[in-house]
Amino acid sequence: MSKVRDRTEDFRDAVRVAALSHGYTESQLAALMASFIMHKAPRQSAFMKAALKTLESIKELERFIVKHRKDYVDLHRTTEQERDNIEHEVAVFVKVCKDQIDILKNRIHDEETEGSGRTWLQFRDDASHADMVAHKHGVVLILSEKLHSVTAQFDQLRSVRFQDAMNRVMPRRKVHRLPQPKSEASKSDLPKLGEQELSSGTIRVQEQLLDDETRALQVELTNLLDAVQETETKMVEMSALNHLMSTHVLQQAQQIEHLYEQAVEATNNVVLGNKELSQAIKRNSSSRTFLLLFFVVLTFSILFLDWYS
Amino acid sequence: MALNLRQKQTSLIVRMLNLNQSPSPGGGISSSSSAAAPTTAEGEEVYKILIMDGFCRSILSPLIRVNDLRSHGVTLFFGIDKERQRVPDVPALYFVRPTPENVDRIAADASRALYDSLHLNFSSSLPRPLLDRLASRLVESGAADRVSRVFDQYLEFVSLEDALFSLAQPRTYVHINDPAAGDREIEEIVERIVGGLFCVLATLGVVPVIRCARGGPAEMVASALDARLRDHLLAKPNLFSEGGGMAASFQRPVLCIFDRNFELAVGIQHDWSYRPLVHDVLDLKLNRVTLPGEKTAVKSYELDDSDPFWAANSWSPFPKVAEEIETQLSKYKQDVDEVNQRTGGKDGVEFDGTDLIGNTKHLMNAVNSLPELTERKKMIDKHTNIATVLLGHIKERSLDGYCDCENDMLVKGSVDRSMLLGLLRGKGTKEDKLRLAITYLLSFETPPPAELEQIETALRESEVDMYAFQYVKRIKSLNTSFAASSASASRGNIVDWAEKLYGQSISAVTAGVKNLLSAGRQLALTRTVEALMEGKPNPEVDSYLFFDPRAPRTGSGAQFKGPFREAIVFMIGGGNYVEYRSLVELGQRSQPAKHVIYGATEILNGVEFVQQLTELGQKMGLGGGGLTQSQ
Repeated sequence: MSKVRDRTEDFRDAVRVAALSHGYTESQLAALMASFIMHKAPRQSAFMKAALKTLESIKELERFIVKHRKDYVDLHRTTEQERDNIEHEVAVFVKVCKDQIDILKNRIHDEETEGSGRTWLQFRDDASHADMVAHKHGVVLILSEKLHSVTAQFDQLRSVRFQDAMNRVMPRRKVHRLPQPKSEASKSDLPKLGEQELSSGTIRVQEQLLDDETRALQVELTNLLDAVQETETKMVEMSALNHLMSTHVLQQAQQIEHLYEQAVEATNNVVLGNKELSQAIKRNSSSRTFLLLFFVVLTFSILFLDWYS
Repeated sequence: MALNLRQKQTSLIVRMLNLNQSPSPGGGISSSSSAAAPTTAEGEEVYKILIMDGFCRSILSPLIRVNDLRSHGVTLFFGIDKERQRVPDVPALYFVRPTPENVDRIAADASRALYDSLHLNFSSSLPRPLLDRLASRLVESGAADRVSRVFDQYLEFVSLEDALFSLAQPRTYVHINDPAAGDREIEEIVERIVGGLFCVLATLGVVPVIRCARGGPAEMVASALDARLRDHLLAKPNLFSEGGGMAASFQRPVLCIFDRNFELAVGIQHDWSYRPLVHDVLDLKLNRVTLPGEKTAVKSYELDDSDPFWAANSWSPFPKVAEEIETQLSKYKQDVDEVNQRTGGKDGVEFDGTDLIGNTKHLMNAVNSLPELTERKKMIDKHTNIATVLLGHIKERSLDGYCDCENDMLVKGSVDRSMLLGLLRGKGTKEDKLRLAITYLLSFETPPPAELEQIETALRESEVDMYAFQYVKRIKSLNTSFAASSASASRGNIVDWAEKLYGQSISAVTAGVKNLLSAGRQLALTRTVEALMEGKPNPEVDSYLFFDPRAPRTGSGAQFKGPFREAIVFMIGGGNYVEYRSLVELGQRSQPAKHVIYGATEILNGVEFVQQLTELGQKMGLGGGGLTQSQ
């Protein structure tokens, strides 16, 4: 599709013609043409290598999530245990990526302070840092944004899971209430049977039995209530934790964005700073001439006064 | 298939940002999705630096935001004139116009070894001499191997909306109508326009049928474009075979080229709808509006299709817009209250156990819907601010009076003299008064001289420059084919006759009926485009020239004038949102729905256009003093 728009061939022909007109030798020409065809592998700084490695790991995380997505979401494919496993793995992975990004970020910071400490007086070096620093911040920002989008994807899956879990709990609560009246009903049958068998002489024993049963009933009910409340609090916790992963990464991304913007501003400020410095130097030299003139005039006036009086 | 210019341009730019490697999966990516990963064939060229010049920056700014740039792997972007420093081991992506200065700058950058490899993208075709110049400079400095690839992108136009584009060539109207312009200058301008139009057609991937009026710059542009397309089609493969064989004639669009002098009134009048008002009063440029805020903080807002309120209400009249903002605000407040209530807002709310799960569900919904609510609030705030500033201006300049007066003159052909003179002497900036006076001139074939005298004295009293006024008078006397007035004159006759016979009531009724039938007046441009698209014999358009780049040069062949489903309308000299709106409405109300794309050399509001007219008047040497009407 881009055959017409690609002018690279025309460009290379033009370069060949220009090289001939500039008097390149055959070997130089051959080297030039060869360098077009085969790019010499760009030397990559350590920073870039680390950044690319982090990118690879984020991509792998994404692939992992995509692979297990169906398992995770579908209700009948996996057990709760396996789902927890998946979550745990993903969390570990995310933490590793986050740490790598943090390392990269601190590295920029260290290189920056180190560079500025050494070259306070050499403005040129500082200037060449500003763009590079901004670029590195940009790289780190892109990485953390990517991580954020991947974790947001995973959080969506998680919220689906929680919805299912909560829906399952809701009907369970209704089911719970039903056995209670049933058990009550069965418990009230027993005293009736007891009554039929015993004569009136054993009423006190009956009453004790009744008391015991009532107490047992109470205990069971309170147990049930506790269990239900515990489930509910767990639900609250889980829904609160729902966004935890992605918000942490978001925070990190925001921090990095802040740094990035500062770095970009720094590149502008360096240019302005250079202008101000050159102006200051000019003013400095002009004030020097003025001072010289002043002293000369002063000397002459003293000599004049001396001669006069 | 509807031609969507903006989407096509965006997908081409995205491809460019990915260093022109194989297109990313998923076809056209709209500018609002930012989830595209930097998919590249080699994993090493993921991060890049983008360097643009001023023109290309204005091309990119309505299409892509800075955050989206990051999602394509662009870490930094700079202007080409800025002092830049070394950033090793990244490729640099240049997107510039093919001018000699840019070429020199690129060569300088390459020799300073600022970046590892350079990918050059020129916004239109790089001519051979410039290519040779670039090559020789690079060979001199020995840095020729740093340039990896060179591309011609054919993207030298700004697409503001899906169906609206501008070539961003300022002051074309002045240059073309300049009495002192020589042939060579006019040819240069025509070349530039043809270049821009060629880029538009290349991006769309269609070869249209060209129609234009006889004589004037439209004919020059049409014939030059026809020649260029023919030459290009001879080479195979060419840009237009990329589109995948859409050569069937019933799919081809028609390209109608018009000159601004065809209908001057539209460029000048005040309009009462939201979008033209913002454009006029607040100076909407590249979908961006800058408002002076309180405490000298300048706020700038972005207004484009991604803003749902703007998309829904940009053609409604201003009072309705204010109402809409009110309703949106109350709906928003309602939603916020609901969310607060459900999640137990601030005052103590029953937190009974049975409702706990319901509460957590509501809490989750609330957390999910919070970002959406904040977005809505921001949008409402933005429009409230804009509407407030607009209202201030309208009150100050009594723009509603101007709109009504001009509308009466152009649609009904009648004028309320006292109101006209009152406005001319009353509130309003000088440009407003001038525009009103020029609209008066344009709406009547032969205005009665006494009235004209009155208007001129009123203008002079308000110290308004008379250049533009005199210029339009001169043009009118020279050029009698102002199509706009003919339609309104006939309507005016009917109404006058009715008024004479039956008094005021009938005229009021007919006026009301007219308002019901036509929501805005029918522009001459729209009528002509409709006629051209229909293809039926029509006295107005039969005299229009016909060019078909695909037909063989010799022999007439069958001239396909039949009904077209799609049209591209191009205005030389200055386009307008009012015209855009009427063309969009034309597309919507015809059945089956047709699709019209509108473009111009630049999008002007009334103030700027009047400035250009003033300039022309000055060049013509028409004095500011009174000239008796020469007729």
